[in-house]
Parts: sequence; structure tokens; C-alpha cells
Amino acid sequence: MKIEISDLTFTYGEHAVLRGATFSVPTGSFLGIIGPNGSGKTTMLKLMSRLLKPKGGCILLGERALEEFGHKELARTMAVVAQDTTAAYQFTVEDIVLMGRAPYIGRFQSETTEDYRIVHHALEITGCTHLRHRAVTELSGGERQRVMIARALAQEPQVLLLDEPTSHLDIGYQQEILDLVKKLSTVDGLTVVAVLHDLNLAAYYCHELVLLHQGKIKACGLPQEVITVENIEEVYGTRVLVTPHPVFGTPQISLLPGMLNRHKEQKAPHLHLIAGGGSGGELMRDLNEAGYYLTTGVLNVGDSDWEAARALDIPVIAEVPFSGITEERHRENLALVTEASAVIVAEIPLGHGNLLNLQAALAAAEAGKPVYLLEEKQQNRDFTGGAGAQLLAAVKEKGIVVREKTRLYQLLKDEYPLETFGVEKKGAAH
Amino acid sequence: MSRKRKLLLYTLLLVVLIISVVAATAIGAVAIPPSETLRVIVSRLTNWEQLTQNIPETTVAIIWNLRLPRVILGALIGSSLALAGVGFQGLLRNPLADPFTIGVSSGAATGAALAMFLRQLTGLNFTHMIPVFAFIGAFIALFFVFNLAKIGGQVPVVTLLLAGVVVSSFLSAVISLLMVLAGEDMQGIFFWLSGGLVMRSWPQLWFVAPYLVIGFLILISYARDLNVLLLGEETAMNLGVNVEQTKKILLVAASLITAAAVSVSGMIGFVGLIIPHAVRLVTGPDHRILLPTSALVGASFLVWADVVARTVLSPQEIPVGIITAFVGAPFFIYLLRKKKKEIRL
Repeated sequence: MKIEISDLTFTYGEHAVLRGATFSVPTGSFLGIIGPNGSGKTTMLKLMSRLLKPKGGCILLGERALEEFGHKELARTMAVVAQDTTAAYQFTVEDIVLMGRAPYIGRFQSETTEDYRIVHHALEITGCTHLRHRAVTELSGGERQRVMIARALAQEPQVLLLDEPTSHLDIGYQQEILDLVKKLSTVDGLTVVAVLHDLNLAAYYCHELVLLHQGKIKACGLPQEVITVENIEEVYGTRVLVTPHPVFGTPQISLLPGMLNRHKEQKAPHLHLIAGGGSGGELMRDLNEAGYYLTTGVLNVGDSDWEAARALDIPVIAEVPFSGITEERHRENLALVTEASAVIVAEIPLGHGNLLNLQAALAAAEAGKPVYLLEEKQQNRDFTGGAGAQLLAAVKEKGIVVREKTRLYQLLKDEYPLETFGVEKKGAAH
Repeated sequence: MSRKRKLLLYTLLLVVLIISVVAATAIGAVAIPPSETLRVIVSRLTNWEQLTQNIPETTVAIIWNLRLPRVILGALIGSSLALAGVGFQGLLRNPLADPFTIGVSSGAATGAALAMFLRQLTGLNFTHMIPVFAFIGAFIALFFVFNLAKIGGQVPVVTLLLAGVVVSSFLSAVISLLMVLAGEDMQGIFFWLSGGLVMRSWPQLWFVAPYLVIGFLILISYARDLNVLLLGEETAMNLGVNVEQTKKILLVAASLITAAAVSVSGMIGFVGLIIPHAVRLVTGPDHRILLPTSALVGASFLVWADVVARTVLSPQEIPVGIITAFVGAPFFIYLLRKKKKEIRL
């Protein structure tokens, strides 16, 4: 059954919770509602399930307005699984699922064998058959949530609404529940709308997403259209990295906590990092966070260090994927090396393609610039048959070898002091 | 619970109730053998006069006019209070809810006390007006509690209980004031408030019975809705229950039962709180079983409580409300400690 929502508004007292939301959910689709706390997600779901009355706008269920449905009629059309159903009474699982048949049974009737058949089917597809004589109070969170979904399915609905169905579950159960819900929408044609707070799960499972921000729809559409770096940054106020899921290609979010663009301030000491093959990501993060003006190069596009530099907004000299460093890039790299106060060489694997990076480091060392070499693992990383090791030894001779990152940070701090945050300066103003 | 087990449970409880009624009728200041008691009852019920040929007229009178109506009334009051308790607890999903905590009993008692006060003040015969006053008092209390608790057209459980406590406290003060003003008739009001079945006979029984039957029928026809309501009001709405309307109907039904009971027997405490809890431990939370079972158990319980009330300090009688409180309070504590899980609704 299709759901159409147009210009929906809702206010709690003076506070506008939803301000004109319009979207539609096609039959058999799985739509996820995402957004930060207080963005109006749960309110949206409560309006859709008629627990709240909208202040304006309308909701169409199929061809009819939501308010035209009778109480029992609506319960036969739409089922709702609440966020956290407290189950303190000692009903058995079967009793609870049987309550899903309540909208079909008259006040003076009792359950028919058909009702029991439907209940047993619902128990079966949710994998709850073996629990049916247990008391709900004895179940784990995941089991209880499955029972609540079974109860919803016993209503034989055409629309299923779920409010954060996995919020209290660990990842195994989260996956189990969402797999089930997805199957119900794709195989059984159930129209599903779920409020989800985990963006990766939402992107992975939902056909379409609605991103709410301060009561308005910020974006709406396919996951890759909604989950973009710009949208997430604006709505959640945090910097993230959006990459395709390694297997299925749906957008996945990685957090980049504490990223401030301090390194762009001119006063910060300039450090140039020579990295590659994943040897530099951690260094970039730590040095960037510490407040240095960091540059890096030369890195191949697609290299994980290149990804890291891009995500952290660090100036990078990039080479095309899977190719050796060209003269041109090497010159650019040398220019940055000259500019920098010091050069840091990460524990890079040495191949013919990146020997020029070591040449750049050697050039710096020979020009009297401090070159720090990180040597944590101390294993053979020369894949050039000797040339690399020789070059590395030459750089080591003129540079400073450091065994631990923390030691490196300490040395850098002593040598290139960073401006501390304004606190100490306050007294001088008077 | 299977149909067979349900039937067995009801039969068992009904047999226990019948035995209790006969035994309680036989026990008293003048001991009458149970066999004679049974013969009098059966002969009166079936118009079979030969059965009582060798039983003295006075014995027949004691049994039929004095003891039996009181015992049956006790059974009716017991089931009324238990039913009202089940109704309020289920409706409010709160173990502390019963006719007393939401102020309905106090309302009825205040109405009754006011009637007695007016009788003393005006010298008019107000006795037959006491039940009417109790009814009015119960519904006025319910009206105030309901409106105090109402927030934006809905009646949340928390505010309903708070309003019940406030209104009850206020009404207790009103009753105390009436007692002070009444002076010499204080004893009468006091006995009323502690709850008792003294001097109650057929008229009071016929008065309370219809309300109990009507209330029970309403409650039992909403048993499934009560079950669904236990999952929470929002879930109940999603399952097609017209929650606000259902709550109003059930509140009025349970209050009707309570007012009828209080108007003839005064405030008998703890029955509405204890019986549903005890029964729930055996039957589980399903109201379709819980309601009839509580009614039967509540009836037997109050019959025996009244036997104790009239024999323990014989020839002096003590109010049955004191007995139910003495039995009820420790039992409630026992339940709380033993089965914390079920009590925490």
C-alpha cells in the first residue's frame, strides 16, 4: 500500500517539531527515516500511525486519508512496532502474538482456528515458534523485538512502521531483525517505514531514505543521494568519510572525530610527511589534530594514505593510480619539502615506484633539514632488491631515527612548539 | 490456560464459595448444624416445606432473615471489590490502583457520611438516602479526579493516581470534619468508614446485585481490550483499541461497582488490592480468566473475613474492614517480597 505525505506540520505547544514534510513511499518499499535527535523522526512516525494528530498537511494511505480509517480498520491495515515495548506482564509469547488478531475479533467472539493459523505463521517467519510458550518477561531484547514483529505481522498489515527497531540490540540481532524486515518488504510486498539511527544500517537496508533536519526534510531519495559528506556534515555537524560498501556499494560512513582545520593557520609549523601504503594515516590524524600545518606526497590516488589525506583535508601531491612517481610530481614534492620546517618519513614499504620519495627525503637531509624516520616494526620492507635499503640507510645516516610515535610527537613538540589555545594570553591583555 | 483447566478452576472455586456460604451461615452466636442450615436454604429456595418440618421457626428465621442475606451480601461485596480492583489495576497498569487509591471509595464514603450528618442535623429520615448519596459522592470524586488528571484530552496514568491521592486526602479531611461536627453520632459514621456488614439484609442485597452484574458484564466484555492495554496505551491504539473511550467506559463500570459496594457496606479496604494480585499469580495476567476468578475468590474471602469479624470478639462485633486490613497488609508485603517481578506491572 502506498503512503503519501504532503506538507505535514506538527507543533508541541509553541515548538514546531515538523515544518512541512512531503514525501511518498511506494508499495513494497522500505523507507528509512534518519536524522539527529530532536529532528522529528519519532514525531513523524507517530503522525503516520495516528498516535498524534497533525496541525497541518495530510497523510494518504492508499487512496484514503488516514483520519477516515476506523480504529480497527486502521489496525488491520497498518501495524506498528514501538521502540521499546515494556513487557512486564507474564503473558506468553503466543498470547502476545494473538493480541495482533484483536482488530479482527469482535467483542463477544473468541479466536478461531484461522486466527491461530495466522499466529503460528507469524511466529514461524520471525523464528519465534520455539518461544511460544515462554513468558515474554523471560526473553532477551532481541527475542522480544522479534515477538513484537510477529505480533505486528499477525495483524496482517499492508504497512509496517518501526521506531528504531534495533536501538537496544547488539549487531547480530540488528542484522537479523533488519534482514527479516527487508525480506518482508521485497518478498511479501509490505510497505515498510522505519526510523533508524544507525546511518550505515539505514543506507545498507533501505530502498530510500528521508533525512530530517530541524523538522524539515533535508534530503530524500536513494541512499547514495541522501548520505553524502555535505548532508551529514550539515545535519549532524560532524565530519565524516563516505565510502562505498566494499561488497555491495551502498554508501557507508566512517567517523572522523575531532577534525578542525587548525593546520591552515599560517602560524603553525609546517611538516611534510612522506608516506604510502597505509603507513601514514595515523600520523596524519595525530599531527593534524595536534595543530601542525601538514602536507604530504607523493601518493597514488586510491592509496589508503591518499584517502586519509583527502578526508583530513591535508594538501597532497597525488599521482595517478598504480603508477610510479613521475618527475613532475617529484618536483612538486621537493618544493613542499623545501617549504617545510621538517620532513617525516613513515615506515613505508619501498618499491621501485616510490623510491623518488626517499630521494626527496635524502635531498632534504643533505640540505640540512631535520628528517625524522619512524622505525617501529623494524622489519624488512625493501622490495627493490637492495636499492631501497641502500637509499634508506643513506637517509638514516643524516636523519633522526625514532622508534615510537609518541617519542616522535615529543621531539616535534620540543622542536616546533605549537601555539596553545588562547588561555594563557588573557592576562597579558590588561 | 486450556478450556478444560479453566472449567475445572471455576467449578472448584464455585464449590468452595457454596461451602463457604453454608458454613458461614451455620457459624454464629447460636451454633446451627450445617446440615440444618443447608436444609433451610434448600427448602426456601425450592419451596420444599417438608424439609424444614422438624426445625424450629426461630432457627429458620435466624438463617433466612438474619444470617444468609448478610453472608451472601458479603460474597457480593467481596466480588465487587475484587472486580473493581482488577478493572482499575488493568486499566491503569498500576499495582497500586484500586477503588481507594483513585478516590472513588472516599467519594462514596463522603457521600454516605454527609447523608448521616444531614439526618442528624435535620432530624429527617435519611437512611434510605445513604446509598444515593454514596453514588453521587463516588461520581463527583471520579469527575474531579478525572478532570484534574486530564492533560490535553488524555488521562495519563501518573496524573490520574496523583489526582486520586489528592482528592482522597481532601475527602478524608471532609469526613473527619463531619465526624467532629456530628458529635454523638460519631460512632455511626466511624463504623461506616471502617466497613461492616452489620444489620444488612435482603433489601441491601437486592440493591447492590444489579450493579455488580452490570459492571461485571461490561468488564468481561472488555477483557481483551484490558489485555491489549497492558502492552501500553500507544500499542493498544495501534491494535485498534479506542483507548480514550475504553478507559472512560471501564472507569465508570468499575466506579459503579465500587459505589454500590461502599454504599451498603462502607469502606472495606485491601480486598480490591490483594485479591487480583493473588489470583494473577495463579492464572496469569489474562483478564478473561482473571476477572471471573477474582470475583469468585473475592466472594469467598470476604465471607470468611466477616465470619471472623463477628466471632473473634463475640458477642462484640468488629468492623470487617479491620479484619481485611489485618489479613491484607501482611499478605501484600509477602507478595511484594516473594514475587517482585509480577508485582512490578
